[in-house]
Amino acid sequence: MAPTDVHNRPARHLGAGQVALELDSSVATPTRRLRDLVRLSDPALSELPFEQLLDELLLRVRDLLDVDTVAILLLDHRTDQLVATAARGIEEEVEQGVRIPIGRGFAGRIAKERVAIFIADVDHADVVNPILSEKGIRSLLGVPLIVEGDLIGVLHVGSLTHRRFDLRDLAVLELAAARAAPAIERSRLIMALAREHANAVMLQRSLLPREFAETTGIGVAARYLPAREEVGGDWYDLIELGRGEIGIAIGDVVGHGLHAATLMGQMRSALHAYALEGHGPARTLELVDRFAMSLGESAMATAAYVIVNAATGAVRLASAGHLPPVVIPVNGEPRLLDVNPAPPLGAFDHCRCEEREAFLDQGETMLLYTDGLVERPHVPLSSSLEQLLGAVGGAQTAEDACLLAVDQLVPQRGPRDDIAVIALQNEQIPALFDASLPAHPQMLSRLRRMLGRWLAQQRLDETTITEITIAVSEACSNAVEHAYGMDEDGFRVRARTADGAIEVIVTDRGSWRPPRGQNRGRGLMIMQSAMDSFEITSDETGTAIVMAKRTAAGS
Amino acid sequence: MTIGQLKLETRDRVVYATVAGDIDMSNVQQIREALGRATTNQALGLVLDLSDVDYLDSAGIHLIHTLGSHLQSHGQKLAFVIPPDSVINDALRLAGLSWEEARIATADEAPQVFGGGAVPPAR
Repeated sequence: MAPTDVHNRPARHLGAGQVALELDSSVATPTRRLRDLVRLSDPALSELPFEQLLDELLLRVRDLLDVDTVAILLLDHRTDQLVATAARGIEEEVEQGVRIPIGRGFAGRIAKERVAIFIADVDHADVVNPILSEKGIRSLLGVPLIVEGDLIGVLHVGSLTHRRFDLRDLAVLELAAARAAPAIERSRLIMALAREHANAVMLQRSLLPREFAETTGIGVAARYLPAREEVGGDWYDLIELGRGEIGIAIGDVVGHGLHAATLMGQMRSALHAYALEGHGPARTLELVDRFAMSLGESAMATAAYVIVNAATGAVRLASAGHLPPVVIPVNGEPRLLDVNPAPPLGAFDHCRCEEREAFLDQGETMLLYTDGLVERPHVPLSSSLEQLLGAVGGAQTAEDACLLAVDQLVPQRGPRDDIAVIALQNEQIPALFDASLPAHPQMLSRLRRMLGRWLAQQRLDETTITEITIAVSEACSNAVEHAYGMDEDGFRVRARTADGAIEVIVTDRGSWRPPRGQNRGRGLMIMQSAMDSFEITSDETGTAIVMAKRTAAGS
Repeated sequence: MTIGQLKLETRDRVVYATVAGDIDMSNVQQIREALGRATTNQALGLVLDLSDVDYLDSAGIHLIHTLGSHLQSHGQKLAFVIPPDSVINDALRLAGLSWEEARIATADEAPQVFGGGAVPPAR
């Protein structure tokens, strides 16, 4: 077809019906539109959020050029495709997520050649996107969006009647593109930063207070895997309850997207707070249920909450519509722990939760997970659960259990649904007690719990356990006082059974100071009266307190 | 433990403080300050309920001693609730202390210690 009268300058023919246009400097900006054009340079534009910015640009361009359709396609760097991102008059483009490869069709050519293209008659032109002709668009004019030499997309306008876009139209559209491109890019960067932040938040869900888990005798490991496409509402949590108890929670908010993720944050915080108040598992879930009901608007979740006693391995748990935990013995087959679940949180008023008690033997591991791990299309839940039981058999640690479960049940390309997994193990009590802790007063109660757990294993009576614990704790208080404030220094406690006695050595790298005042003197006295032998040695490398107490069996 | 495990209540000019969990060098200072703030010079004295304490070390014993002398110098009294089977008894025994003179079996006995006519605290 013949180029129109506005193209009486040398024109390059790119494809059927496509003409490349070049605006030469002799074409002045039409003065009557000058005021309108200022609207495109409005600095307030770049302050708008991404979506609104695009919308506003489309409206202004449509009014300025008096066209029927306007569309912005942005370059997806990973696929080298133009993605329909915003449109007026041809909203279908965006709704259907139209993607145009660079170099093909109308928009693809504009992007590849980085030139403006005019199509007088869509029916006789090389156009990839069928929506353009389906909508009855007759003529099209498009320009590349370029920022600092980089192509970021294409802006095009269309007319439902045959229209000869002239160089004045082109000048307006090019100006619009020149104004729009940097604003779009800026806004897109801000959005990318926001997305990165969201990812960081998601990662944060996966963090566990490691040194805590390492020093209680309860090993804890966890995983959070985001879904391939969307943000989800799964979570897990670890709550230090004090008095030797640890809370482990897992949950799954029904639904996806930002809404589910927000609800997840609320549910997790509510559960954490009620747990810290010292409520048992059933009561905690009942309170979270009431919390979920009060949120209204379809806040529903399944959850399980477990409290484990680090000293005894005793476990209390309750479930609100959650899948049953897996128990992995040291030797033998993993099994599902039979829990009678209440309805999901937020489903009914006044839900009653049942509490179940169990016991984790030394070395046994309990695994909690969300349905994303075991639910897949066309596979019955029972056989996925069988697969899970088969996968985690032989796990030696909590970390092992998570690794095996995720490795064998999650598809290579990532899960369809998001997944949370958390495992806790009642760790084997070693023959020799050996613990190194930072020299901080907060570590004393932790040390007492750890030592108490070890002493309980040595078949001692309660009073002996108490007396040894008090003496060792006093020795550690000394070490903390010596080293407190010096970051790198900690203290170490070793204990063993030998010749019918318990021997304990507490070492630190500080120097022994003779007791001053009643308080310190009292500590020394407690150590001496609690133990049968007591000795302090101090040199330039540090201080060692060596203590021993005959046990009932040896005396 | 945290300061959250300290409960304070004032009835008939007597301060009732209940401590739960461990008392050691990590929190004695906090407890000391909280008890000091609660026991104003309007109070007749302080009842320290240690029934729910799991552990008491030399720092805790020292705290209670200095608190006792401080109250005494202000003409106020200190009384303890320590059940016979409490682990605190082991700590006191090892430190060569008994505190018999200030012990009461339950907080309900407190009004007798601090003078007649007082209503027992709600428990």
